[in-house]
Amino acid sequence: MINYQQFTLDNGLNVIVHEDLGSQIAVVNILYKVGSKNEVRGKTGLAHFFEHLMFGSSKNVPVFDTALERVGGSCNAFTNTDYTNYYITLPAVNLETAFWLESDRMFQLTLQEKTIETQRKVVIEEYKQRYLNQPYGNVLHLTRGLAYDVHPYQWPTIGRDIQDIVDYTQADVEAFYRTHYRPDNAILVVAGGVKTADVQRLAEKWFGEIPAGNIKKADIPREPSQTKKKIKTVYADVPSDALYKVYHVPGKLEEGFLQADLITDVMGFGKSSILERQLVQKGHVFSSVENYVTGTSDPGLMVFSGKMEKGQTAEQAEEALDKVVGAFLQNGFPDQFLEKINNQAEAGLAYDQIQLIGRAMNLAYFAYLGHPDLYIREFERKKNIPIDSIMSWAKNILKEENSSVIYYKSNN
Amino acid sequence: MLDRSQAPAFQIPDSIQLLHPEVRLLPNGIPVHFIPTPEIQIIRMEICVSASLDNLLVEKRFIPFFTLEMLVEGTKTKSSEEIADFFDTYAAEVDTSIGFEFLQINLTSTKKHFLKVLPVFRELLTDAVFPEQELAKKKRQKSLQLSVNRGKTSYWASQLFKREMFGADHPFGQISVAEDVDSVQREDLIRYYENHLWNKPQIFLTGNVGNEEIEAIGELLGDLTVRSISPVESKFVNKPNHRVYEEKKDSVQSTIRIGCHVVPNSHPDHLPFWVMNTLLGGYFGSRLSKNIREDKGHTYGIYSAVGSLSSSDYWMVAADVIKAHSEEVFIEIYREVERIKHEPIPTDELETLRNYMAGKLLSQFNSSFEMISRFKSVHLSGLDFGYYQRQLEYILSFKENDIRNVAKKYLDPSKFVEILVG
Repeated sequence: MINYQQFTLDNGLNVIVHEDLGSQIAVVNILYKVGSKNEVRGKTGLAHFFEHLMFGSSKNVPVFDTALERVGGSCNAFTNTDYTNYYITLPAVNLETAFWLESDRMFQLTLQEKTIETQRKVVIEEYKQRYLNQPYGNVLHLTRGLAYDVHPYQWPTIGRDIQDIVDYTQADVEAFYRTHYRPDNAILVVAGGVKTADVQRLAEKWFGEIPAGNIKKADIPREPSQTKKKIKTVYADVPSDALYKVYHVPGKLEEGFLQADLITDVMGFGKSSILERQLVQKGHVFSSVENYVTGTSDPGLMVFSGKMEKGQTAEQAEEALDKVVGAFLQNGFPDQFLEKINNQAEAGLAYDQIQLIGRAMNLAYFAYLGHPDLYIREFERKKNIPIDSIMSWAKNILKEENSSVIYYKSNN
Repeated sequence: MLDRSQAPAFQIPDSIQLLHPEVRLLPNGIPVHFIPTPEIQIIRMEICVSASLDNLLVEKRFIPFFTLEMLVEGTKTKSSEEIADFFDTYAAEVDTSIGFEFLQINLTSTKKHFLKVLPVFRELLTDAVFPEQELAKKKRQKSLQLSVNRGKTSYWASQLFKREMFGADHPFGQISVAEDVDSVQREDLIRYYENHLWNKPQIFLTGNVGNEEIEAIGELLGDLTVRSISPVESKFVNKPNHRVYEEKKDSVQSTIRIGCHVVPNSHPDHLPFWVMNTLLGGYFGSRLSKNIREDKGHTYGIYSAVGSLSSSDYWMVAADVIKAHSEEVFIEIYREVERIKHEPIPTDELETLRNYMAGKLLSQFNSSFEMISRFKSVHLSGLDFGYYQRQLEYILSFKENDIRNVAKKYLDPSKFVEILVG
């Protein structure tokens, strides 16, 4: 679906080129295979914090974004549990500047104290803005913390608490850089008005001399199977109760993930989905409901969440939810749902074609999972999963002992 | 050995490739502007109508909102459930949006199913019945959402800002609170739907649209009864500087808004003001961002922006900041305003600004979907598509002096509205 060519440099950097010669723009997207799952207790949030430091200075570039803005470019980045992704958009004629900048910060980031201290403050404000100064803002912390006992998915990417951000040392960030920001731990995607031969030449020129890390990654503890339902009740000054019920599901490429994904398509996708219809439109307990899988590379979560109508409790909501889930497990779902899901998936593929940056990120993400072609292969695989396989996984996943529940209760 | 200290050579783009939309008039006079993009198998159609909010009573402010929300909740021949099943099955989406001056009803569909979903989409526009039960649920949902928003300092500061800027008695300045939802009645929606909604509609279309689709649109939307109600001209004037402060004890941050009214985008001072705003707070390398975030670390983000209205634009600075430093941030914002008015802009900074803006402009025209949306925004404010070429020419040629002068002329702190919540 997305045309591309790929090659690998001697130092292990995986380079993917997507030519779109009608475009005057180029996108340079670099994915580092490090996320919050590579963190340890006491130093949580470091992957995301480090993303901020990458916009400081490197040996030959005093300020990353000024150097990029000077050639008409702009940039941003995000970090999640599994990886960190940086992207630049700039006029295609200035492609080489992006190579200069990205290679310099991979090769010799300076990690100055001033940058570290200012970004520490900025990230603490980000933590407050997104997770503390919002009604229900800490719910990601609560659900992950309850559902996972040993896996680092137990804290969100921003970090477990502000104290961890306060405590990072210069040595921590330097070690993090040396360990993870190496060419053999990265995927570079160049897309837009660019030619593969030029990209190849520029990649060799700018990234070729950066030594490989050859660093063995620390093992990430695998979450043991959950054997008993977990419950936590919290109170906050919010206008109504909210319910979060999560179940463990397989990782993105593991057996059963696509079935889990299909369960949420049936249960939670769109206004015609089972939950929306039974709980929101026909019910009076839920004001809104959501159902999705986190889609992480290690085993993730199937999330059911909702806000209650005023005066209705989270406990009542769970009962209503369980009833609908129970009926689903008992009766399955009509065949027409599959036609709907396939049409939705096809439309999704078509939407993905619209934005150049979306195509670039897709290539990087599926290359991270193992191969750019997984994008289309997973689509095909999902289309051919029969109903009985979905239902047998549903029975496997949607068990009380596999669930964790947060009753997020209103003080009012 | 590669000399990494040498930045690669670069060029700054001096033209944008604009795909001018074709336009066709439907029998009822609705213009359809479209950019065919055969390689994308999606079709997006936006129907834009002029809001005639002016004559709505303050307590009925939610009528347009609920009218749009309820379009998919039942027609003469289909229930809410049947409509949801239908659109979801064909992976088509109906979404609506509501702004100060325009309302939108949009249809997104694959090319494969467009002709099948279009007739049902038409039903929403002509045969909606606004059932009571669905309306009651929507009202409860909206009311809860407003209560949740009330707890957000940024949301509340934006509401107070609107009120101070446009006035509590003007539709733009009304604060949305949960209690106002209660007064909305089914009859209000029907009246609005029948008499006000289809006001000067225009259609913007892109994706793989061919003759067949254009003809179907003509057939199905060409007989809609449309109106032409002109909105009452609004004139906004800046009032003497005043601050509205609302304390929120349990809040861990404070939200700041500062702003004033400025000239509309048809005015000769608009382009210099737009460039000046970018320098001050319109991009990551801007002075506010460099000072308050990158130097002092008092915020995760601070920006300034220009909002567009037909009679005038408005300018605003926004940030969520460390509570203890909110006064300092106010002082620093004012300091940056004064610096722009009185100090020369360093050559380096000027070059970065110019080049950044040129590149950014270029990147905003990279797909037909972006192209039609840029076209829509200038077209609706009465300008032509050449506006963007003029923007680029201005970016490449403006003088440092122009920026200083426009700042002096329009950024007068004695006429700013200040909001602080938290």
